[in-house]
Amino acid sequence: MSNDAGACRLRVRYVKEGRLAHLGHLEVMGTVLRSVRRAELPFEVSEGFAKRMRIQFSQALPVGASSVAEYYDLLMPVRLDAQEALDRLKAATPTLLAPQEARVLPRRMPALEAWANRALWDVDILGEDVTPDAVRDGIEAALQKGTLEFMRGTKPRTLDLTSTLVSYELEAISGGADDDGGRGVHTRGVHLGLDTRVTERGSLRPAVLINAVLGRAPNRVCRLSQWHEERDGSLTSPMSVG
Amino acid sequence: MRRERENLFYLLEPLLERVERPSRYLNHEWGAVEEQDGPFHVCIMYPDVYDVGLPNLGIAILYDELNRQDGISCERAYLPWIDMAGFMRERSIPLLSLESSSPVASFDLVGFTLAHELVCTNIVEALDLAGITLRADEREEDEPIVIAGGPSAWNCEPVAPMFDAVLLGDGEGAITNMAQCVREAREEGVSRREIWRRLSLLPGVYVPALYDVVVDETSTRWGYCVPKEGSGAPACVTKHCIASLQKTEPVAQRIVPYLTVVQDRLTVEILRGCARGCRFCQAGMTYRPVRERPKEQIVEAVGRGLETSGYDECCLSSLSTTDHSECASILHELYGQLSERGVRISIPSQRLDSYGVEMATSARSSRRAGLTFAPEAGSQRLRDVINKNVTDENMEAAARNAFANGYRRMKLYFMMGLPTETDEDLKGISHMAEHVADIGREVCGKRAKVTVGISVAVFVPKCHTPFQWEGQLPLEETHRRQRVMLHAATDRAVRIAYHDAETSLVEGALSKMGRTGFDLVLAAWRRGCRFDAWTDQFSFERWADAAADIGLDLENIACERFDLDARLPWDHTSPGVSKGFLQREWRRAMEGVTTADCTMTQCTGCGVCPALGVANELAGERA
Repeated sequence: MSNDAGACRLRVRYVKEGRLAHLGHLEVMGTVLRSVRRAELPFEVSEGFAKRMRIQFSQALPVGASSVAEYYDLLMPVRLDAQEALDRLKAATPTLLAPQEARVLPRRMPALEAWANRALWDVDILGEDVTPDAVRDGIEAALQKGTLEFMRGTKPRTLDLTSTLVSYELEAISGGADDDGGRGVHTRGVHLGLDTRVTERGSLRPAVLINAVLGRAPNRVCRLSQWHEERDGSLTSPMSVG
Repeated sequence: MRRERENLFYLLEPLLERVERPSRYLNHEWGAVEEQDGPFHVCIMYPDVYDVGLPNLGIAILYDELNRQDGISCERAYLPWIDMAGFMRERSIPLLSLESSSPVASFDLVGFTLAHELVCTNIVEALDLAGITLRADEREEDEPIVIAGGPSAWNCEPVAPMFDAVLLGDGEGAITNMAQCVREAREEGVSRREIWRRLSLLPGVYVPALYDVVVDETSTRWGYCVPKEGSGAPACVTKHCIASLQKTEPVAQRIVPYLTVVQDRLTVEILRGCARGCRFCQAGMTYRPVRERPKEQIVEAVGRGLETSGYDECCLSSLSTTDHSECASILHELYGQLSERGVRISIPSQRLDSYGVEMATSARSSRRAGLTFAPEAGSQRLRDVINKNVTDENMEAAARNAFANGYRRMKLYFMMGLPTETDEDLKGISHMAEHVADIGREVCGKRAKVTVGISVAVFVPKCHTPFQWEGQLPLEETHRRQRVMLHAATDRAVRIAYHDAETSLVEGALSKMGRTGFDLVLAAWRRGCRFDAWTDQFSFERWADAAADIGLDLENIACERFDLDARLPWDHTSPGVSKGFLQREWRRAMEGVTTADCTMTQCTGCGVCPALGVANELAGERA
C-alpha cells in the first residue's frame, strides 16, 4: 500500500457489449489490466516477488451477459486528471469494452466487489410461446417457494430468492415478421426488468432465474446499473460516491 | 466453385453459449487487423484451437508482413474445438476465418502451419470443415490455393498431397512472393497447373504435385521424389533463408488475446538458428545459420512491444536464448528498466553451466518455478554420442549455483531410446537427478524442500538430422526401459515423468514415411483421430487400426533402420546441411566423438553457408 499523499483510486465505468458479452470475468479482467498498461497510467503494484497491478473490479458479470455499468478501481500512486486518464484508457481499450466515465476518489474506500450490492438487469426471452403471464406465473411460484435450487457446474446450489430478487417488471415484445432478415431469429417474446440484491449468501443471476422458471436460457441479458444499498434502503451510484 | 465471401458470424453466434471457451471464436482482439479489403485475400491457419495457435510466432510474422502489402489482406483461422465442430457440421456451417467470419473456402490463398507431425489429422479436419477438396490434384480450378510451411515442413510427404505448395525455410519475404505469384496468376486467369509451375520456381517452394514417387533398389520402401518430366521443378528444393534477422521486424506479435492462451506473453525472437549440433535435433539442423539481433534492437523491441500490447511478461525466444552473445547484458538492462512496472522477463531454458544460472538470476526468473536444464542423456558417453556438449562438472556447477541463488526446484529434460543407449545410461538419468538433489540439500540445508523433476521424452528420429537413419524403440522395449529408470530412482525428492510411448510411436511412423503416409493420415482421420497432440483425445488404438486398414503396422514403420546410402523420402528437400555432413556426424556419433559449435570455434563443414550464400551473424563474441 502506498503512503504517498497523492495516492488515489481511479474509478472507471465501462461497458461490455456485442460479441464481447461472451467473455468470462477473468478474460475481462485480463483485458482491462492490459488496457491500463497500454494507456501508460500510473498504478500501484503489490508487494512481494511477483509484482501485480493493484486493481479492484465490481462483481463478476456472467459469460454471455452484456453491460453498460461495469466498474473497476485502479489504485494509483499519484493523482491524475480523470478526463485525461479516461481519454488514455479509451484509446487503449477494445471498443466493445470501452470506458465511459472516470472519477478520482480517495485511496481508502471499501472494495468495489462487496460494496456494489444492487443491480438492475434487462433480460429478453424470445419465442412465439413466451408470454408475460407465463413468465410472471413462473417467477411468482418461485417466490412462493422462497428458494431457487439450481446446478452450478456439477454442484447443486440453493439461493434465497426473497432476499436476492428485489422486484421485476414484464413487457411483451412484438417485432415485425421480417425483422430478423430471414435468419430465423424470433422477434416475439418477453422483456423482463430485474432488480437484484447481493447478499452474504449469494446473488441472483438472471439466467439462473429464467432457467428455473422456464427451463431455458434467456436470449439477452444486460446489466443496466449497479448501486450500493445503504442500511436505510437508499441507493448510491458508484460514480457519485465520495 | 469458390464459395462466396460473406460474413457468417450470425450463424456462429447462437452457438457460443453452448460451447467451451466461446472467446475462442470472437475475433475483435486488440491488434487484429479489422480492415480486410483485399482484393487478394489470404487466410493463415494454425491447425489447433485458438488458445494453442494464437501465440505461434510464425503466424504472427506472416500476418504482419502480408497485411502490410498493398492489395493483400490476411486473416487467421483456427480449428474449432470438438464441441463447436460438431454443431457446425450439424448446421452445415463451414469453417470461418476470424477477422471477417468469411468461409475459409472463399479465400484466394489458405496457408497452414505445420507445427509438428501430430497436427496432420487436424489439417484434414480443417479442410473437410471448410469444404475444400482434400487433395490438391483433385481441386477445382477456382478453389483456394492451399499452402503450408513451418518447423515440420521437413518430410511433409505424409501431408503433401493436401498442399498446392509447401514453403521450406524462413517465411519472411517468401510468403509475400508466394501471395504475389498466385495473385498475378489469378489475374491472368491461368490454370492451376500453371500456378504450380510458377510457384515451383520461387526459392524454397516445393510443389508436391509436380513430383513422382519412385521406389527402387536405391531407396527405402517409401521411395524418393523426382520431378515429373517436363514440369521444370527443381530436383532438390533448398530452403528459403534470410541472411539477417536484424532486418526483420522484431515485434511481429501484435494481437493480444482475451482468453488465456498457452504462452500468454509478448515474445521477441532474439536469435534464429543454433549451431550446438545436437545430433537428434531437427531444429538445430534446419534453422542454421545462427543469426542474432543486436542488443539495442532487442531492448527497444521489448519496450515497444510491451507498450503496445500491455503484456506484463516478455519471453526472449530462440532455440538457445542464453547462447546470445549479449544475453547477460540484455537481461540486466531489461530488468533495470522494467521490474518496477511489474514486468517479468523469461527465457525458455537455461544453458547447462553456471553462466546459464547467472543469466536466469539476472532476469529474476521465478524461484518458485525453478530452473530448467536439458542434459538429454544420463551418462557422459551417451552425451558424447548425441553431441550434447555438457559435462557432469557443468551440471554440478549449474546446480550448485542455482541452489545458492535461492532456487529450490530444478527440472531436467532427458530422452530415452537414443542410439547406443544401454540400461546403465538410463540408470544414469536417475542417478544424475539424485546427485542434483544431494547438492540441493548440501547447499540449502537438509530441511530445505528441494525437488528435482525429470521429464523423459522418447527419442523420435527426425529427417535431416544425423540420426535420420535410426529406428525408434519398439513399444515393449520402451516400457521396459522406463521401468529400469524408475527402479533406479530411490530419492523421494526426485519426481519422474515420461512421455507416452504410443504417441511417440505414431510421431515416429509419420516421421519415417513418404507420401504413402497420407493414406495412413486419412485412414486415421476417418476413424475419428483429431487433436492427437491432446493426451485426452489421442487414441493409439484408432491409429493402430488405421494402419491395419491400409495393411501397415506402426511399430514396423517407426522402428525400421534405413541404410546410410539409401535414397530417403525427403532427399528432394534441403535445409542446406549436406547429406555428407549428416553421414559424417552419424559416424562420429557411433565413435563417441563430439563436434564443436561453429559460433564458438571454427567451421565444422555442415555446408549451410556455401549452399545458401549466408553466414553466422553474431552481435558480439560468444562465451
